[in-house]
Parts: sequence; structure tokens; C-alpha cells
Amino acid sequence: MVVDSLTVTLAALSDPTRRSILERLAGGPATVSDIAGPFRISQQAVSKHIAYLHRARLIEKHRRGRRHFCRLRAAPIKQVADWAELYRAQWEGRLDRLDALLKEIQSKKP
Amino acid sequence: MNKPPKTPSAAADYEMTTVRTFAAPRELVFKAWADPALLAKWWGPGGFSTTMKKWDPRAGGEILLYMNAPNGAVYPMSGKFVEVKEPETVVFESAALDPEGKPIFEVLNSITFADVGGKTKLTLHAKVLRMRPEARQYLNGQKVGWSQSLDRLEALVTAIP
Repeated sequence: MVVDSLTVTLAALSDPTRRSILERLAGGPATVSDIAGPFRISQQAVSKHIAYLHRARLIEKHRRGRRHFCRLRAAPIKQVADWAELYRAQWEGRLDRLDALLKEIQSKKP
Repeated sequence: MNKPPKTPSAAADYEMTTVRTFAAPRELVFKAWADPALLAKWWGPGGFSTTMKKWDPRAGGEILLYMNAPNGAVYPMSGKFVEVKEPETVVFESAALDPEGKPIFEVLNSITFADVGGKTKLTLHAKVLRMRPEARQYLNGQKVGWSQSLDRLEALVTAIP
């Protein structure tokens, strides 16, 4: 459902640190310590943001040897960018149903 | 690295218009918008049911409805009417609400009904009025940077083992 996943995505994007993390990951996968490097907050705090982004399915984690990497999942972000198209699709569906209802009402009239 | 622009541009970037002609008289099409019981029959999305709490089509009138998904999830929408002129105009603000009842983004929906030889031409214009400011700033930043390269980016990130 459009609204639901958009809610989760926008909530995740509402924090400047999380946005910076995503921008960092747009350059390619990185480990938690790579990501934490430029921030003035603790690696633990960065880990919490990463966990949040992971729950929102904006990033995914994978392992290479003993190192854990995070990488961007572009799809949910693209979904936000495509807002107008999503909203349009919602309305097109609605107007289809309105059209069907109007036909039904008129067919019942003598 | 792409930085969001200092001044977010107007929400004008988030607009859409759609036009539809219905083989029905204008009064009936208008009624399908003004009568909450009729509206609940088509509001959807498809497969959803609509619980209509408030739908008071006059300037300042309130809107509150719940869209019930087949899986039991409930998506609330609130809003208010800005202008209602029978049978030609309905303008209302709508907001999708998060689980705490706070608006995620608010949209101004302007609908006009024109009589075209007994049929009705409906024009719907939707425009984002307010988004959570951080979200909008992000979106605008993204418009400059992300959107151009996003498809490429997606291909790139999925190609990495």
C-alpha cells in the first residue's frame, strides 16, 4: 500500500543524520565504522540510525568475510521521488470505480 | 555528494492533473462527490472498504475517513473542504496520517465538473501543500541529485554481491 510504505520512508528520512548516512551510501557500500567516521556522534549512535534505516528497508546489510557492509536500497527512495505518479495512479483507480458506479446508478433508472 | 538546496523550491514540483469524462450528467457526478454514502462506494483503493466518519461538503466542512485494507490494516485520512460550489467545484485539503495521527503530507485537491453535451468532464488538480519540512527539503535535494542517477544507482547497488 502506497501510503504505508511512504510513511515509513518519510519518517526514516526525517532525520539529518540518517539523510547523511544515505548520501554516504549513495557513493557505494560501507562498513559501520566507515559511515561513522565523519560524524561527531558515537559509532553506537550511528549504529542506531543504521538499524532504523534497516527496519525502514532503506538499506540492507551484507557480509564480506568478517566485515559487515551496509548498502543503499534505492527502491523506497525512488518511490518517494515518484510521488506524483503514485498519487495519480491512486486517483485513476478511484475515477475508474466512480465511472463504474455512475454506470450502475444510471442503469437502474427507468 | 549532493546537498539539498538552501531554499526548498515551492511545492509546485509536486503537482499532478488528471482529466476524465464520464457518461453521466453533471449533477449526478457531483452528487457522487457530495454524498458520503455514495463516495464511500468508490473511494477505495480497490479491494478496500471505506469507513466514513466525516464528509461535510461545504467551505470549512471536515473530512475524516478510514481506508480499510483487505489484510486488516487501516489508513486514516483527514482534511477539510475549502470550497464547494454545486455542481461545478469541489476543493478540499487531505492529509495522510501516520500511526500517531500526525499528517505525513497534505494535498490540496481541486476538482471541477464541466457539462459537455450531457457528459461530464472532470478535471482534478492535486498539489502538495505541506510535507514534513525535512521530507520536503530532502525531496528537493533529491530532485537535483538523486533522481537523475537513481536508475543507474539502483542497477549499481543491486549488482554488488
